[in-house]
Amino acid sequence: MSTELTDAILAMDEDGALKIVKDRLDGGEAPEAVLDDARSAMTTLGEKFACEEVFIPELIMGGEIMKGIAAELKPRITAEHTAEKRGTVVIGTVHGDIHDIGKDVVVMMLEVSGYDVHDLGIDVPVESFVAAIQEHGAQVVGLSGLLTLAFDSMKGTIEGIAAAGLRDRVKIMIGGSPVDEQICTYAGADGWGRDAAAALAMAADWTGGAA
Amino acid sequence: MTPTPEELYAQREQRFNDIVALKKPDKIPFMPLMMHYFPSRIAGVSNAAVEADHFLMTKYMKEATLKFGFDWAAAVGVPPTKSLEALQVKQIRWPGGDLADDAPFQWVEGEYIEADEVDQFLADPPGFATRTILPRIAAVLQPLSFLQLPPMHWLANGYSTILLAPFLAAPGVKEMFEAMARFAEDAQNYMAAEGAYWGEMAAMGYPQPFVAVGFPAFDLVSDYFRSLRGSTLDMFRQPDKLLAMIDVMLPASINLIIGACKATHTTRAFIPMHRGAGGFMSDEQFEKFYWPCFSALIYACIENGITPMPLFEGDYTPRLKYLATLPPGKVAAHFDKIDRAKFKELCGDVMCFWGNVPPSLLCTGTPEQVKDDVKELIDLFADTGSLILDSCIGIPDESKPENVMALKEAVDEYGVL
Repeated sequence: MSTELTDAILAMDEDGALKIVKDRLDGGEAPEAVLDDARSAMTTLGEKFACEEVFIPELIMGGEIMKGIAAELKPRITAEHTAEKRGTVVIGTVHGDIHDIGKDVVVMMLEVSGYDVHDLGIDVPVESFVAAIQEHGAQVVGLSGLLTLAFDSMKGTIEGIAAAGLRDRVKIMIGGSPVDEQICTYAGADGWGRDAAAALAMAADWTGGAA
Repeated sequence: MTPTPEELYAQREQRFNDIVALKKPDKIPFMPLMMHYFPSRIAGVSNAAVEADHFLMTKYMKEATLKFGFDWAAAVGVPPTKSLEALQVKQIRWPGGDLADDAPFQWVEGEYIEADEVDQFLADPPGFATRTILPRIAAVLQPLSFLQLPPMHWLANGYSTILLAPFLAAPGVKEMFEAMARFAEDAQNYMAAEGAYWGEMAAMGYPQPFVAVGFPAFDLVSDYFRSLRGSTLDMFRQPDKLLAMIDVMLPASINLIIGACKATHTTRAFIPMHRGAGGFMSDEQFEKFYWPCFSALIYACIENGITPMPLFEGDYTPRLKYLATLPPGKVAAHFDKIDRAKFKELCGDVMCFWGNVPPSLLCTGTPEQVKDDVKELIDLFADTGSLILDSCIGIPDESKPENVMALKEAVDEYGVL
């Protein structure tokens, strides 16, 4: 594995990273190997976020660099080259709430860490969560909310999942600025988190892997 | 002897000012920064109904203040959405608009200035705002996009006013002015309701928290113009342009605050803060992009005799070391989430502590839990008395009335120093 590309990504050197990708491809290297290096950098970025060495800006910028690299590599990857998924997550902002900044950061964090993430968007009705869990066979459900109205929406969503007979099949995490242990108990969730690192740690725990 | 309303008003003002100045008060006050829909919800009235009727909204504001014994009249947090509706504003959504009647109004963040448009904004901020940003955020302001007029002093005579004709006769312009007239009608009604509310509350002895409002320039750029994603990418891709946008916007908040305070003879300014919170950026990024414009705003307030009331939304514990450098006894710091003990240790002799009773407790907890939390706060700050009680961002809409009452009772029970 080359550290040059991972170093460039971790240094947020967008132009440098893209140049390395092009140079390696021009040099005849397999695009799959380049993609694996880039993914490895994103995993490291997630680890650094978890221990507060980097913050939301680096996650967003890292995701943007990764998008550029993927666009470069995609036409050259003939066979489906996908890393083994660590688990399937269904996530969304609960009904009544249209905020998505926190959720989007969690989605990015889970995706770069190898999870198959199905983002249902904002103001998501209970039945959409239920349908998505069934359709994708999710092991983990993430409920996001910024407003205090989300407390009852989260509770109602978890009750809806239970009423559909799916509660024992999924672990449910909740998050968002006003969410805390009190709301975790109130809503009947399995866990809550202050940030995307906490979300990743819970997902890893619940899907039997390391964060 | 029962104090008169005038005496009560003076006592409450003095208590707030003493706490900000780090002088020990006689008792800890309960001063909610603002309220949105809590007062009307507990009366069984929908959010949409009070959006539509401003006098109904302030009626419930008054009732809640009296019922729960606040030490001032909380600020009105519900915006005049009929005014916004007249302009077809897209940056805010509201109950009675395209949100459910019981939803609160909510902000729609977006890149209203694109990354490659920053130079155009910097070259002519007022022109770009008029012709590009306003049409994007309000549908009926679309005609402004083709507003190309010479400087108005060239037209300031009877003959040359005819040069306005091509603009005024263009499609959509008449409708735009009609919409503005509807905006003005609702805005006048809103201001009349607010004015009556403040007058009535003052006559009963309840001060008004603030009139002036101003955001740190970084938040103006990030929240309003570029979005979190856009401003974040700017940090890496075009940091100098991001700083230039911040420089352009810094005088906006300062001048708006000073102007509002002068016009209303008030001396407090509300400063909502978003993107400087812990997690949103590193210390290095905070020092480069956020702290300079935030501290400039704080110092400008202080130099003009205005008490800045920053609302630190999010967790500002990682930033306490910066807050500790601000002038002592000048800032009314309102906290959302924060490590209370660490605040006391680092900033206890610099600024008072306001807020921080979790919304989760008020909305879903028991009165006993609320009282325990208030007692914990009062115990921590009892030695200095530099404490004002409130939840994290005023009283949450879904608070249980018995929990708000428990907060008041706990303040009365434990807060006499």
